[in-house]
Parts: sequence; C-alpha cells; structure tokens
Amino acid sequence: MEHHLALSARGVQMEYRDRQSGKRLLALENVDLDVPDGAFVSLLGPSGCGKSTFLKIVNGLLRQTSGEIKLHRVAKGREDAMVFQDASLFPWYTVTDNVAYGLVCAGVSRKAARERVQPFIDLVGLGGFGDKYPYQLSGGMQQRANLARALAVDAAILLMDEPFASLDAQTRELMQAELLRIWNAARKTVVFVTHQIDEAVFLSDRVVVMAARPGRVIADITIDLPRPRELSVKRTPLFQDYGERIWGLLAGRQEETASQGRAS
Amino acid sequence: MTGGPALVARPAAGAPARLRGALGERVFYGLIGFVGVLLIWEATAQLGLYRKSLLSTPSAIWQAAATDIANGELWPHVSLSLTEFAIGFVLSLVLGVPLGLLIGWFRRVDYLFSGLLAGLNAMPHVALIPLIILVAGIGMESKVIVVFLWTFFAVVVTTFNGVQTTARKHLEITRSFGGSQWLAFRTVVLPSTLPFIISGVRIGAGRALVGVVSAEFLAANRGLGFYISLYGTFLDTARVMLGIVIFGILGVVIGELVRVVERRFEVWRPDLHH
Repeated sequence: MEHHLALSARGVQMEYRDRQSGKRLLALENVDLDVPDGAFVSLLGPSGCGKSTFLKIVNGLLRQTSGEIKLHRVAKGREDAMVFQDASLFPWYTVTDNVAYGLVCAGVSRKAARERVQPFIDLVGLGGFGDKYPYQLSGGMQQRANLARALAVDAAILLMDEPFASLDAQTRELMQAELLRIWNAARKTVVFVTHQIDEAVFLSDRVVVMAARPGRVIADITIDLPRPRELSVKRTPLFQDYGERIWGLLAGRQEETASQGRAS
Repeated sequence: MTGGPALVARPAAGAPARLRGALGERVFYGLIGFVGVLLIWEATAQLGLYRKSLLSTPSAIWQAAATDIANGELWPHVSLSLTEFAIGFVLSLVLGVPLGLLIGWFRRVDYLFSGLLAGLNAMPHVALIPLIILVAGIGMESKVIVVFLWTFFAVVVTTFNGVQTTARKHLEITRSFGGSQWLAFRTVVLPSTLPFIISGVRIGAGRALVGVVSAEFLAANRGLGFYISLYGTFLDTARVMLGIVIFGILGVVIGELVRVVERRFEVWRPDLHH
C-alpha cells in the first residue's frame, strides 16, 4: 500500500514585528514536518515554542511568512478541521447546533447538518445531550462537543490545539483514552499540540519536540508502544523511558535558554 | 457534662433548601414597600405635617384619577403620548440597530459616522427641543422627532459596542471551518450582540419617555406632559401627581415588556433558566 502524506511542511517560518520595539521576532524557524496518512503526531514543547502557531498556519487561520505547507487534497469537504484549546462552543447554540456548525460553514443547510451530526454526537459519548446548552455541560463534555464538531466535517486531518489543557487530571486521562478510541473508530490523521509529555507519548506514533526562542523542532521521536493502548501503559518501563528521554531534551534546552537569558 | 471538647451543632433544615428570589416573595415584598410608602404619605398629610396642596395625597390623586377617567379627559392625553412614544421608538430601532451593526462590522462605515455620532450624543439633547419645535411645530411630529433622537443614539451606541465585543475566539471558529464573513455575521455577531441591543432598547425606552414629557412641557396642546404642566399652572397638585404616577406606571410596564423579550431571546443564558 502506498503511503501518502497527509501534511508536509517545508522551511516554514513565522515572523512577528514587535509593536513597541519594532524588532522582528521569530516565532517559527525553518520547520520541516511530514505527517503520513492516518498517523497520530504530537507537537510537544514549552509555551512560546510556536506549536499552536504552526497549527493555526496549517488550518489557515494564520499565514506563514515563508515556507511551504501542503495538505493531501481530499475529494470533497475540507482537508483539515481544528479542535480548539478552550472548546469555543457558541453559548447561544445547543450541542447539536454547535456540532453541526462546521458543516453549516461548508454550506450544508442547518437542518441537514443537524441530522448528519447525530452519529458523531453519539461517537464522542454525548448521546442524549444534543439539546443542552454549553453552560449545562462539564468541561470534559464541552471538549467532546468540540471534538465532534471537528469530526463531523469529515476532514482528512484533525488539528488539536491542547484540547485537554484546561481539564482536571482525571478527566484529562479519561479523555486521552477516549480520544484513542475515537481515533481508532474514525481513522483520521491527527496533529496534536500539547505541553504534557505523558499525554504526547501515550497518544502518539511520533512526538515532535520543539524549543522556544526561536520556535523550532529539536527532535522527532517514534513511539514504539503497541496499540491499542490502555491507560495502564503509562506505568510500563518503556513508557517511562520515553518520558525521561523527552524530559531530558526539554530540560536541557531550558537550561540553555536560561543561561542565554542571563548572558544577554 | 462529660469531658472532651465541646461540639457545636449545625442543625439540619429538615426540608430541601429553597431557591432565593421566588416570584411570589418578590411581589409580596414589592407590594408591602409600595403600600407602605402610600400609607406614610397619606398619614403624614392627614396629620397636617405639611400643606396637602403642596404634595397632594394618595386619596386626592385617586379621586382625580377616578374623575378624569370617568369624564374621558385623561385618556386622550395618555394615548397621544403613547403614540408619540411608540412611533419614535420603533423608528429609532428600525434605523438604529442596522446602523449600529454596520458601524460595528465595517471599519469604513465606523470612520464615516462615529465622530459625528459621538458629537451628537454628547450634546445635551434638551437644548435641541426649541429648534425641533420651530421646525416641526407643536403637534405630534416634533414629539416623535424628540423621542426618536433620544432613543436612536442609545440604540446605535450599544449595538455598536455589542458588535465590537464579539469574542475573537468565536469569530475564529467560523474562519477555521471556512465559513463566509456573512455567515460569521449572522451566526456569531448577531447573537452575541443581541443582549447589547436589548439593553440599548431598555436605556432607549427610558430616555424616550423623558423625551416625550420634556417636549410636551415646552410646547404642546395635548399629551400627558401637557396635562402635568397645565395643572401645574392651576396649582392642582393632585393632577400633577397623577400625571407623574402614570408616567411611572408606563415606565415600569415598558421595562417589563423589554424583560419578556429578553427572556424569549436568551434561553441559553444560565441565570434565566431557573
């Protein structure tokens, strides 16, 4: 079977001009990234490493200063769909209308969209909550709706921007396992942004480690843990080895930036 | 008593806790306050603590109301004022809401109008009344114009503010999923601006009532404001007070109507669900 690339980035740079000093800031420096079809890849790094910026560039919310982004063209619908950090559901819509909104953006009528999203509401475990308003949902349930909205547009690649960052520890673990179950069912390519090492290792086929100032890729680690994965895998030595290795990479960089900070 | 530390009990209620602010309770205490003030007013006047002709008394006002309603004198004044209010108010909504939306959504429309509007809004509107009466006469037209102007600015400014405070993260959703600007306007900007529009309506309604009275004070031959100022010149304080009370009632009724509309549109707001 031929392996297509779902996403290919070459030499992506993002520059900002600081409003006060007028200095140029490099948010992303020369980022290369290939994501094969069906893979689960995490972008991991401290805040300020440009991981979310990269995701927004892929999504088209931002435009890179230079470099090339290519997405595998799909026959119909969108190439990519975003799962946002704070669920960003519309408070004036019910769960069903929120989940249907991606389709409405694609030109599907409100009524048809409502019918089509029903299976996705069930898939993320929100069956029976379709008529609720966001304020009636817990944080975890809001993120499920957020995920369903992205799944419903049937994009080839899911872009997930720290979707579990604001959840409590237990809900987060639960949602990680849920995400793997859904990923398995929906067979999507996923690019997942996080600053949590164990989250990245648990979920991913590959963890792309990034560093800040300027934002860049410093390592690309393949995670050879068998699938399907249960939460118990987090207590295995192999899992912990991956965690320590990545932690070493990030900690080393942080010391380096800290000493740079002292020098300048 | 035996030894050991003394314990303080927190007794159980024995029944489920009741939510505060039940409607019956609100009405009950509201009425007590209202009736209490009336009683004190009546009593102090009857006791001769001040001259009755200065502040009148609830019973005298009641009598004046009964007489003027029975002989049909009151209603034409009230209905004229209400008509002036309604026409001016609806006009200001029909023109003010779209203009506020346009100014909020299109930068160039903002540049075109916002300076002008800020200037007109900052001006003391009462100062315009003599001019409006000169131009439009002392009939209904001048009052409608006054009501319109008073309300219009409140509606435009609050609508504009509503559009401007639309959450960026919500607008980002539409963009992220490839929705058009027009879709973003309809599905994001409008619903998140609605509470602002309604508060504009509320502020506008209050101002519009003041506008009606002010204009009728200055020049009119009918209307509730005219009724008040006419009987003021006769030193008939009961009828002056009656006019004021009717304005008060109208204000409350209009405010409640706005609340009904508000609830209808905002089922998604948590505080209105219980």
